[in-house]
Amino acid sequence: MKHQYIDGTLYFYFYGDLDNLTVCNLKDICIDLIEKYRPKMVRLDFEEVTFIDSTGIGFVLARYKQLMKSGGELVICNLSKANMTLFHMSGIFQIMKYERNGVKL
Amino acid sequence: MNKMRLMFTSKLENEAFARTSVVAFLMPINPSVDEIMEIKTMVAEAVVNCMIHGYDGKEEGDIQLDVQYDENRMITIQIQDYGCGIENIDLAMQPLYTTKEHLERSGMGLTIMSTFADDFQITSTLERGTTVLIKKQLHVESEEEK
Ligand SMILES: Nc1ncnc2c1ncn2[C@@H]1O[C@H](COP(=O)(O)OP(=O)(O)OP(=O)(O)O)[C@@H](O)[C@H]1O
Ligand SMILES: [Mg+2]
Repeated sequence: MKHQYIDGTLYFYFYGDLDNLTVCNLKDICIDLIEKYRPKMVRLDFEEVTFIDSTGIGFVLARYKQLMKSGGELVICNLSKANMTLFHMSGIFQIMKYERNGVKL
Repeated sequence: MNKMRLMFTSKLENEAFARTSVVAFLMPINPSVDEIMEIKTMVAEAVVNCMIHGYDGKEEGDIQLDVQYDENRMITIQIQDYGCGIENIDLAMQPLYTTKEHLERSGMGLTIMSTFADDFQITSTLERGTTVLIKKQLHVESEEEK
């Protein structure tokens, strides 16, 4: 995972297999970065993600809730077709924004 | 008919081993890219459930994984733990229902499995464990694929 902070927006770029173990290892780092920058917006980029399961959905929902507390917004970016199918099942787009492209690292 | 069985410990790193092993075993029958993705996801969901729920994160339980396929390209995957079991399966099957929200679970695992499977069954006995049975019919191979 890479991240960058520009003008109130915190970008996270995930890559490879975002499985249960990987999410477990990244979770606290993401929580702390959001805590540190208190961003107005967080963008989660899944362009380079080759595998994701419900653990990833749980992670996104939890960051959404974390941001709600400080009034920040969360945007999901660049899901592959397969990853999109999975996110759709959860109804997550009823509460969160989705965008393709955007700023790349 | 061809089959294989794996028995592994409920250590988190074994989930990647489980899903890639299933796909490796199925390679001779050429699943499509989409089918591989769905199979990997179903195995991951089932195995993570055994680890997180069945054994409550304790990394010393046994998980048994059975895979077989027949001449009609029907795949059967069975994943079993000997953990705590599920009290109410109908409730557990509800989308977004989870008993581990504090661990950032979303409650989508069983929904994802039953969506991707052609047949999905789950049986459970409290204090004895849980078994999920997944059936998936692979696409008919075209002449070029063979
Ligand atoms: N192998 C199991 N042993 C015991 N309980 C289980 C097992 N599998 C599922 N459950 C129960 O069923 C509930 C729903 O499972 P499901 O996989 O749909 O969601 P989750 O695991 O809680 O969250 P997610 O899969 O989205 O990370 C779980 O919260 C748990 O209470
Ligand atoms: Mg689950």
